Amino acid sequence: MSSTEAQLDELTDASFFLDRPWVTIVWDDPINLMSYVTYVFMTLFSYSKERATQLMLQVHNEGRAVVSSGRREEMERDVARLHEFGLWATLARDDK
Amino acid sequence: MGAKSSKPSKGFKRVDGDTFIVAFSPSEREVLLNLSGQLIEILAERVDVVDKDPLAEMVGITGHDSPPEDAVLLRLLPNAYADPVESAEFRRYTESTLRGKKREHAMQMRTHLVEEDESTISLSERGAQAWLGAMNDIRLALGVRLNVEDNSYDRFELLSPEDPMQAVFAVYVWLGWLQESLINSLMVSK
Repeated sequence: MSSTEAQLDELTDASFFLDRPWVTIVWDDPINLMSYVTYVFMTLFSYSKERATQLMLQVHNEGRAVVSSGRREEMERDVARLHEFGLWATLARDDK
Repeated sequence: MGAKSSKPSKGFKRVDGDTFIVAFSPSEREVLLNLSGQLIEILAERVDVVDKDPLAEMVGITGHDSPPEDAVLLRLLPNAYADPVESAEFRRYTESTLRGKKREHAMQMRTHLVEEDESTISLSERGAQAWLGAMNDIRLALGVRLNVEDNSYDRFELLSPEDPMQAVFAVYVWLGWLQESLINSLMVSK
């Protein structure tokens, strides 16, 4: 992709005007250990044990949780690292 | 220390700050070598599509943009977007790197299992994290093949002792316990 194309992409991206961030979502799965998910949140995002545990429980009880938000490229990086740790993660434009 | 112990593993322990130790019986070692070998094999099934463009090769573009058909591979290399088109684009640029990292973790685990002459394996924090990743990938693969769900403990308890799936489930549960012991010792400093 040329840089002009990339710029056009950025401009036509709805979030450019709406200023809606992107979010990283972690989905519940029956295999990953609760302690492991907590450890991954603490390690990847430098969250406190309390915050990481709270997010882990949200994933477990509600089926999903938003674990980070920001620019699309940043969320792609977060998703890639979560996949490296074996968590089931996707990114999406914030629907709020 | 010295002679290989035939006692079952007591799990991971943190010693002297940043060192993690663990000991395995010969049969436990065998199981871990076997499973990490299988993990490397299944990852290798997803061979990179050779891209003639050297620049593409350099930045790790594999040409793979469709998700793996095998359920285990799909769990190890999941989609990043709900939208298949965006997901394909992301996969084309990142899957090769992800596969490489998972392979590297499993290789490190094998190296430690093969090279340590003593009964006790000693790991740095980085080594411990490679083990953590490899153990988790093995559990993901086993869990998908066993079709593990939230209430699986009941389901597997009802199987007859001769059912081979019960033995596989026992290994899966043991790996969960082993992983938990490593997480606990890694969390101590956090």
